[in-house]
Amino acid sequence: MSDLYSGTDLFSEFDRLQRQMESLFGGLPSSIRSSRFGAFPQINIGTTDDSIEIVAFAPGVDVAGLDVAIDKGLLTISGERKPAQSDAGDDTRTYAQERFIGAFRRAIELPQNADPDKIQARYTNGCLSISVGKRESSKPKAITVQ
Amino acid sequence: MNDKTQIAERDQEAIARREGNQPARRMTLMPAVDVFEDSQGITLWADLPGVTKEKLDVKVHDGNLYIEAEAVVPTPAGLRLQHAEIREPRFARAFSLSPDFDTSKIFANLQNGVLKLTIPRRDEARPRQIEVQTN
Repeated sequence: MSDLYSGTDLFSEFDRLQRQMESLFGGLPSSIRSSRFGAFPQINIGTTDDSIEIVAFAPGVDVAGLDVAIDKGLLTISGERKPAQSDAGDDTRTYAQERFIGAFRRAIELPQNADPDKIQARYTNGCLSISVGKRESSKPKAITVQ
Repeated sequence: MNDKTQIAERDQEAIARREGNQPARRMTLMPAVDVFEDSQGITLWADLPGVTKEKLDVKVHDGNLYIEAEAVVPTPAGLRLQHAEIREPRFARAFSLSPDFDTSKIFANLQNGVLKLTIPRRDEARPRQIEVQTN
């Protein structure tokens, strides 16, 4: 049974190291509110001309316990993920416990042009997609040269 | 958020370069798993956010269990990535299975981006109490 457990973490460990190196040598300061790398849930952020799109990779979270809040340009995602195997009997042996368990909170600093009144959030296939609209004035527009 | 832009762009270039040199090998993420065993068999849970049933491939080959999946996250057109903690939408992980598992009876269930696999032990491999007789 040791096959299921041993030696499998080498690559993730390597990946983590590599990311730490990147953050060290990247040299750019990150937000004081952003936590260590590898926090749960992992987040991707992108922008379009009309919106800011945030995807939080939060599989296996109860939607009712998922909280998305915005306060003064700070978007907060919080909730709790419960253990998968809650009815573990006495004879249950655990070989791997890599998945995150417990309460989580992540904060995202939205840019000035984000419109807190235009936010949509959806949870599908374990991904929380949040779309934040941009204010009209900040949208790109072509300037006519005379 | 502006300071993140440069990091993301540089990373994408790095991945593209690597794929160009080694076209056969794709970058994949190793999903986090929980593995439990009781008298019935193994229960494995794997985090596969953004994966649908159609994009999930669970197979057993030569006594090895392979989990391969691809995440599909719908995004609007013209999206520019600014900050990415998950850069590759592909997941892959493999485990070897000892012969006392009944690989023909593996049950897989995918819900909210979490895969649950139950791998039963063969009947003859289950622990049983042996009755001691006295004369």
